[in-house]
Amino acid sequence: MNLRKRERIGKWVLTIVMLVLGVLCIYPFLFMIASTFKPSGDVLSTPLQLIPKNFTLMNIETLFNNEYYNFGDWYWNTIVMTGITLLLKLFIITITAYGFAKIRFPGRDAIFLVLLAGLMIPGDIMIMPRYIIFKNLGILNTMWSLILPAAVDVYFVFLLRQAFVAIPDSISEAARIDGCSHFTIYRRMILPLAKPSITTMLLFSFVWSWNDYMGPYLYISDLNKQMLSVGIKLFAAGQAQDYGAQMAGATIVLVPVIVAFFFCQRYFIEGVTSGAVKG
Amino acid sequence: MSTRIHAALPHKKMSNLEKKEALTGYLFVTPYLIAFVIFTGIPFVSAFLLSFLNVKYITKLDGLKFVGLKNFVRMFASEETMAALGRTAIYSLIYVPVIMVLSFGLAYLLNKGVFFKKTIRSMVFLPYISNMVAVAVVFQLLLGPRGPFYLLQKFFGVEDPVLPLLSLKWALPTVVLISVWKSIGLNFLTYLGALQGVPVELVEAAQIDGASKWQQIKNVVLPAVSPTTFFLLISSIITSMQNFTVIQALTEGKPGQSTVVMSVNIVRTAFTKYETSYAAAQALVMFAIVMVITIIQWYGQKKWVNY
Repeated sequence: MNLRKRERIGKWVLTIVMLVLGVLCIYPFLFMIASTFKPSGDVLSTPLQLIPKNFTLMNIETLFNNEYYNFGDWYWNTIVMTGITLLLKLFIITITAYGFAKIRFPGRDAIFLVLLAGLMIPGDIMIMPRYIIFKNLGILNTMWSLILPAAVDVYFVFLLRQAFVAIPDSISEAARIDGCSHFTIYRRMILPLAKPSITTMLLFSFVWSWNDYMGPYLYISDLNKQMLSVGIKLFAAGQAQDYGAQMAGATIVLVPVIVAFFFCQRYFIEGVTSGAVKG
Repeated sequence: MSTRIHAALPHKKMSNLEKKEALTGYLFVTPYLIAFVIFTGIPFVSAFLLSFLNVKYITKLDGLKFVGLKNFVRMFASEETMAALGRTAIYSLIYVPVIMVLSFGLAYLLNKGVFFKKTIRSMVFLPYISNMVAVAVVFQLLLGPRGPFYLLQKFFGVEDPVLPLLSLKWALPTVVLISVWKSIGLNFLTYLGALQGVPVELVEAAQIDGASKWQQIKNVVLPAVSPTTFFLLISSIITSMQNFTVIQALTEGKPGQSTVVMSVNIVRTAFTKYETSYAAAQALVMFAIVMVITIIQWYGQKKWVNY
């Protein structure tokens, strides 16, 4: 009895310690969201108030409605860029993974091995050669310079191939004998069965494309074609004194990802804990 | 399906059905392969080529000359670049141990059983999916001259309150810690997954044998998760060198040159000074360093990784 009570107290103490650490982790977000709805003068007031005393929507108004920065354009560009990337990946990565998992053709395993070696290449080494290639393809300073390299992500070809291989061949072979084409099996059987893995891919791809800074920083030069990551930095530097508007900017950039996380936590977290997503 | 049968296929005569199957296979993977060659294959090979040429202004390719190791010699003779390399080393030497110890510690404690486990787990993971640049704007305010960190130091009577991101001495360590905060979620969750796979009986047996908490961790838990530690160690070392976004978002290499690490130096050399080949040589050296470290780890793992 006494032991059990002590254990319970121990568990509560640990819980409180971990909760404090957790709050520490999300403190910048709490501060940011609260400041979004405060007049700039109140943002750094002491003591810090987490619930705005003078609630205002002025900062969001400043964000989308000011003379110097087209926050709305950047937002739209980022949505379109991320959307096309996801659609492209949903098609090209899954169909490639299917090819490597379920169809027999000469050289298949050798080619796949070469792709795997591609996993080891750090992105930094390719920034200049890619610039030259984008320029020659005429896609420099367009969102395609961000979309196309993201769409050939080897990592998810590898992951989805694993997921497809785990689906027993007997299922697809029975359908083959019944006269179904590979494309039908891919679309009607494999895609639905591998939904969790595909969802994980889409969610992480969404986060990575949405948050990418280096791509737009290096390859997009026109201000009105820019993405949010670069835009928010320009905006914050330009509105150096307007803390409220800065925080509103940061919040608006983060909202889609945070919303996606809240609704799909399971896929994010299981994607990592099961060892599917690493890096 | 065995690989051996496959390798033999091209030599034997294929039946019509097999031919059709193979054709479908190529049809499925070719679009991807073409894109892969254009956006990864060619850039990777050209990265090597560029390092031995004299390309300037990124795309100006006339007057192309093979210059041998000149770019590399120049790199190792440059005080500026060597200083950047030193900062990258400091960055990694802080980042890797801190993130490894903290992520294991957090995962271990969470796994021991707490209330609100899922909530805490999500809280620690949240920074990982957030936008570094947006978050940097918040940190600049929090750590700035009117921010709570400064006021807190004043409140506790610190004589020279530090502005971490604007101090020559503290900027680099601060950036590293923010980067740990940002990335810890991934390591933490990976460890959590591994810890959940450690058999409870193993730990209980050690407990019954009278092992202390520390002994249990050292002799039972750590060896059991050593493959995960090995994997995370390698990926964290790589992450610690790919730090351009973190630095550019928080300090842009300032104050002075105090946070100019190799990744920043490479981008500046290429895109501000337009010394394309010289930058490519620097990137190649970084790639070689990562490779050497990974290979050493790979051979060293036999001593401490239990599969």
